[in-house]
Amino acid sequence: MSDAIDVEALRAAYLNQVFDEVEVTLDAEETAAYAVSCGEVAACFTDPSDPDFQAPPTLPARLHPSRRRPKGFPKVVGLGMDAGKAVHCHRPIRPGIKLTAKTHMHDIYTKTGRSGRMVFFINRMEIFDPDGQLLASADTSSVVRERPEQ
Amino acid sequence: MSVNGITDVEFGDTLPVFDPDTSLANVARFVEAAHWNAPRFTDHEAARAEGLPGALVPGIMSQGFLAAMIHRWAPKAEILYVDTVFRAPVVVDQPCHINGVVTDLDEATGEVEIDLTVTNEAGETRVFGTARARLPN
Repeated sequence: MSDAIDVEALRAAYLNQVFDEVEVTLDAEETAAYAVSCGEVAACFTDPSDPDFQAPPTLPARLHPSRRRPKGFPKVVGLGMDAGKAVHCHRPIRPGIKLTAKTHMHDIYTKTGRSGRMVFFINRMEIFDPDGQLLASADTSSVVRERPEQ
Repeated sequence: MSVNGITDVEFGDTLPVFDPDTSLANVARFVEAAHWNAPRFTDHEAARAEGLPGALVPGIMSQGFLAAMIHRWAPKAEILYVDTVFRAPVVVDQPCHINGVVTDLDEATGEVEIDLTVTNEAGETRVFGTARARLPN
């Protein structure tokens, strides 16, 4: 029996449906430490007392949903790897404010190379402030290299 | 040299290379702040036991290096987007270089597109990506 992933069926069943929602409040000192360790030097990222203090733009990439796949998502057979991260920044993220992070599957697609087919899964986490304004989104890309047919 | 606005930028400009701190102590500080603390990032022996070449700089930290490099070049830049592909591991305690080149710009909107890479001492690309940022007019 083939373990090939039915990408079109997965897209039809799971794309663009929020499957996870978590609340998070960033700590100012941790946010500053994150920025400093990355090499940021501007006070708006490194000094919690700065009037424009905010999270560095890539910080949303560190947030995790409570689950990686929607409920009922089939087990995917193959070698899985973290393929990348993308962050879209819309508004500054301020520590100390309760944020809501909602995650959905944004895309599923394939690429085929010499070693076979690879399936990419893109989870998008959208981060909202208490007024429901979208502050940022973070895409997590994972790739599964399918096992060749025996 | 840092830039203050879009008029200071030309297509093809190379950003000043940034050599980030990849020491074990700094990576430990990062993973603590990121709540990503795991031995594969903070302990060379534990990482090797997992089959890795040594403790790893987390991919999200490499992404943070890329953003910091843009801010060092253009302190007033507002980063709109950073897309990063993790091609190969960046190993803790091994020097790496953050490189960038302006591949597109729009003087009307103040937006620039920058191709970014993280390279090691051998000149191998470990991480690459693209960023879009807005600069003052």
